[in-house]
Amino acid sequence: MKRILENRLGIWASFKLMGATLNNNPERIAFILHRITGIILVGFIFAHIVSTNSLARNGWESWVAVEVEHLRGINPISIAFFIAIGAAVYHGLNGIRLLLVEALALWIGKPERPKPPYVAPSLKGFQRKAIYAVFVLSIIIWAAIGYVMFFW
Amino acid sequence: MPVDLKAVTRRPPEVVKVRVKRFHPEKGQGWWQTYEIKTYRGMTVLDALLKIKAEVDHTLVFRYSCRMGVCGSCGVVVNGEPRLSCQTQISEKATPERPEVVVEPLYNFPVLRDLTTDFTEFFEKHRKVRPYLIRLDKQERENPALEYEQRPEELEAFYEYTLCISCGLCDAACPVYASNPRFLGPQALAYAYRYLADSRDEGWRLRLEELERDGSVYRCHFAASCSSVCPKVVDPAGAIQRLRRALLAYNLRLFKKRTAKNVEPMKVSAERWPLPPEARLMEGVDLEAQEKGAPVIPKEKLLED
Ligand code: SF4
Ligand code: FES
Repeated sequence: MKRILENRLGIWASFKLMGATLNNNPERIAFILHRITGIILVGFIFAHIVSTNSLARNGWESWVAVEVEHLRGINPISIAFFIAIGAAVYHGLNGIRLLLVEALALWIGKPERPKPPYVAPSLKGFQRKAIYAVFVLSIIIWAAIGYVMFFW
Repeated sequence: MPVDLKAVTRRPPEVVKVRVKRFHPEKGQGWWQTYEIKTYRGMTVLDALLKIKAEVDHTLVFRYSCRMGVCGSCGVVVNGEPRLSCQTQISEKATPERPEVVVEPLYNFPVLRDLTTDFTEFFEKHRKVRPYLIRLDKQERENPALEYEQRPEELEAFYEYTLCISCGLCDAACPVYASNPRFLGPQALAYAYRYLADSRDEGWRLRLEELERDGSVYRCHFAASCSSVCPKVVDPAGAIQRLRRALLAYNLRLFKKRTAKNVEPMKVSAERWPLPPEARLMEGVDLEAQEKGAPVIPKEKLLED
């Protein structure tokens, strides 16, 4: 019989969209996206190693020819590649923001006495604007790459 | 924004469904139970729970004490967001389209019964960061005869973090605390920073060494949910980033801190006498007589509107 109920959310908390139910917390959404894009990138690296390894045995030229063939037009492989590029763009841009915030404690405001409307200084700092900049920039870059890949 | 400041002025829907996640330790099982209650303007989630307990189901168990956001014992999860139930208006969470409030026990804490959670681990972690001033002068620490000298800006540097009421909402919201049981949690780390930043504290070397060994500081990924749910605007997320910067500086041998000296207690200087007129007693007021009965103020001293 269970005398105590374990209520730890576990790894699920990293993906649960608490970000949507918490007020004023796009950082959480950025965090969830960072996790998801990180997982996509790990998968991509494995796939990349496998594909380059098995095909490169026939020589560099033939491998490049095959890859170019794969990436032309809309097909599952080019779409997967496109998603991986998007993940890399977001992960990289958000990573820069996190480096500045986490290693150097930049952009998180100054400690202050609480006053209405009671928002913590780190949520008001420049890093909040940086999050929106990261979102917008990664969508623009991703769309541009998609245009070049599929419609150029 | 931690609290919807306008919510208290709105009327909640007439009848609200309160869905409570319950757990009974002797039955060893959990279940969802729905209650329907009549509301009034200004009703909080804690009021609703108290009303249920008084009128509908007295087996419902929850914890509270001050009912005004001071004690930090009434933390629950309301509609997926960790909140103090005494500070959450029903009208903030229940809308006319969806007159429902879902109340769960705090995430990441073991549930003892219904909405009551076990804070042992939380306070053990709090204790681990040494939440007290460390002075090198043992003699003075045990038998203090002097005062600390502190500048106003040194107070500002850590004042915000002293407001924590140990409600545990930040730990319930933290995704890292949820998946890593060894993580100290936002509350404990905010306290670690509070004492590190305090100019009266001289134990910074010990604190930084311990934090470095523990490694919790590096587990934070700045999801900042702790700061967004904190009812006292303590900003644990900012504190952890500052701790990290302090650790980086310490590892590069660059960490510096000005610590406060012990000084003689302040004395009232003689120039203050006689007191300025606004601090002097009114003429014609008999203090001794007043201490016996209700205060009597001479008619002519009363202010007229
Ligand atoms: S930091 Fe805020 S949310 Fe966390 S325990 Fe203290 S008061 Fe509660
Ligand atoms: S009852 Fe004390 S904080 Fe809610």
